[in-house]
Amino acid sequence: MATLIHRPEYAQYDFGPEHPFTPARLEMLLDLLRELEVPLDLLAAPAATREDLLGVHDPAYVAAVEALSRGEEGAGAESFGLGTPDNPVFPGMDLAARWLVGGALHGAHLLLEGREAHVLQLGGGLHHAQRDRAAGFCLYNDLAIAIRAMVDRGWRVAYLDLDLHHGDGVQSLFYENDRVLTISLHESGHYLFPGTGHIHELGGGYARGLSINVPFEPFTGPEDYLEAFEAVVPRVLETFAPHALVLQAGADAHFDDPMGDLALTTQAFERLYRRAMELADQHAHGRLLATLGGGYEAKVVARVWAILVLTLLGRPIPERLPPRWLARWQPLLGPEPPGCLHDPVPPYPPIPGAESRHRHNQDTLARLLDSLGRYWL
Amino acid sequence: MLVREMMRSPVTTLPPEASLREAGELFQARGFRHLPVLDGGRLVGVLTDRDLRWATSALCPEPLSLDAPVEVAMSRPPITIDPLDPVEDAARIMRKHKIGCLPVMDGPDLVGILTGMDILDTLIKLTGISLPSSRLEVALADRPGELARLTAFLAGRNVNIHSILTYPDPDRAVRTVLRLGSSQIRPLAEDLAREGFRVLWPVPKPWPR
Repeated sequence: MATLIHRPEYAQYDFGPEHPFTPARLEMLLDLLRELEVPLDLLAAPAATREDLLGVHDPAYVAAVEALSRGEEGAGAESFGLGTPDNPVFPGMDLAARWLVGGALHGAHLLLEGREAHVLQLGGGLHHAQRDRAAGFCLYNDLAIAIRAMVDRGWRVAYLDLDLHHGDGVQSLFYENDRVLTISLHESGHYLFPGTGHIHELGGGYARGLSINVPFEPFTGPEDYLEAFEAVVPRVLETFAPHALVLQAGADAHFDDPMGDLALTTQAFERLYRRAMELADQHAHGRLLATLGGGYEAKVVARVWAILVLTLLGRPIPERLPPRWLARWQPLLGPEPPGCLHDPVPPYPPIPGAESRHRHNQDTLARLLDSLGRYWL
Repeated sequence: MLVREMMRSPVTTLPPEASLREAGELFQARGFRHLPVLDGGRLVGVLTDRDLRWATSALCPEPLSLDAPVEVAMSRPPITIDPLDPVEDAARIMRKHKIGCLPVMDGPDLVGILTGMDILDTLIKLTGISLPSSRLEVALADRPGELARLTAFLAGRNVNIHSILTYPDPDRAVRTVLRLGSSQIRPLAEDLAREGFRVLWPVPKPWPR
C-alpha cells in the first residue's frame, strides 16, 4: 500500500496556457484514476514554510520569488532565472510552489515518523531548481527540501531520478554531502537540457563517488536503458544502504514526448517502477518517497503515471482506457488517441543506428563503472 | 580573451645557480612542470621537467650531477608572450614551438606564466556549460546577416543565448553551436526549420509521431 499526497491547490502551479508544464497533466491523471475506479484516498499536506525553503535555497532568491509573486517589478528576475520562456513569472507563484514542496516534505515526515513506508506525491519533482536560481520549470526544489529534512534527522538518503533530463539541481545541492547518494539516468547533456550529467560528475570532497550519472545517447530505447539501470542502481543502493529512497518519476523519457529524444515505453516505465519498489524494500528499509516530474505529451503522461500509481498500490493494470476519459480529454488527446494504458507492441519501427548507439551506451556505462570502482564499488 | 585573464601569478622562479636537485624537489612538491630562471630579475631561461629528466638520464651522453646548476640544463632563450596578447596567439606559439609554457613579460618584468593547462581551461570555459542550457546547432549560409537573422529569431522568442561557437563546415556553411537558456528546444528547432534554417541538432525523431 502507499499514501498518495495531493491537493487541488497544486493546480495553481501554472505558467500559463502556452506552457508545457500544465496542471492539466495532473487533472488528466486524477480523472483517469477515478474512471479506472482506483480508490483515491488523497492526503492534503500543508504548504512548506519559508524556513523549509531556506534549508536549500538562498534567502535572496526566495525573497525575489516572493516579490515577483506579489507582482513587484524590478526584483532582478533574470538573474534568478525567472521571467524566461521556461520560467515565466506569475502572480502567487511563491505559494503555488510551496504547496508542491509541502507535499514532498510531508511525505518525508511520514517516512521519518514511521507512519508510512511508500508515499507518492502526485505532483512536483522540481529537480532543476538550484540554490539561487529557477530552471527548467522548477522554482523550489521540493525533492532536495524533502531529502534535507531526512538528512537533518540523521538519515542517509538515496535519490533516483528517472526524468528525461539530468537531475542537476538535486545533484548540485548535495554534491559534497556524503549522506546523500544521487543517481540520475537521462539523455546525454551533450545534446539535451540542462547540459550536465556527465559520467565524470562524481561528487566532491568526502562525497566523491556519490553523484552518479548515467547518460544515454539520443534515441536510446528500453533495452539499453534497463541494462544500464540494472548494472548500476542495485549495486550502488546495496553498498550505500540508505535509510530511504527518493524517486523522481518524470515521464518525459517516453518515445512520444515532445521535449527530448529517449524512446522508453510504458512497459519499460512499469518495469522501472517495480524495480524501484523492490530495491527500496531490499536496500532502503522499504521506504520510498516518489514524486512526479517532467512529461509533456497528453497522450502519454496520465497513462505512465496511472501505471505508477497502480504499481505502488499493488493493483492490476487494466488493458483498455475508459471511453469516458477518452471522450472528456479528446481536445488534448488529438485525432489519434491511445486505446490502451500500455503502448502497442512493438511501439515503433526499428530505429536506425541501434548497433552504434548500443555500443556507445555500453562504453559510457563501462567508463562510469570503472570510475565508481576507483571510489567505492 | 587575453593572456592576463588566463595566466597564473605570482610565479615561482629559480636563480641560475640553483641546483637540479632543488628544482626536482620543487617539481615534485608543487606539481610544477616549468620553472622560469631569473638572473637578477632578468629572465634567462625556463627549466622544464623534461630538461631535468634528460639532463640527469642514463640515456643522456653526458649526464649531469644533481648538484649541477639549473642554468646548464634549462631551455633558452625563453619564448615569451605579452599579457595583452590574445589567448589564441599564445596557443599558436606554444603549438608552433611544441612547448608547454610561456612566461608572460610586461617589458622587462616577468608578471605571470601561461601553461598548456591554462589553454585547456580556456577551451573548457569557451565551450563549457555555465548555466542550465540546451544545445542548438545550425548550419548558416556564409554571407552577411545570417547570424543576425538567427539571433533576431531567438530574441523574438525571448530566449537567452549563453554561448555561441562558430567554425567552418566542409560544405562552406558556418557551423554554429549555441547554448540556449531554454529547455524547449525541439519546438524551437521545428520553428527554425520552418523559417528556412538548416538545423543540425535537434533532428526530427526517427520514428513516426
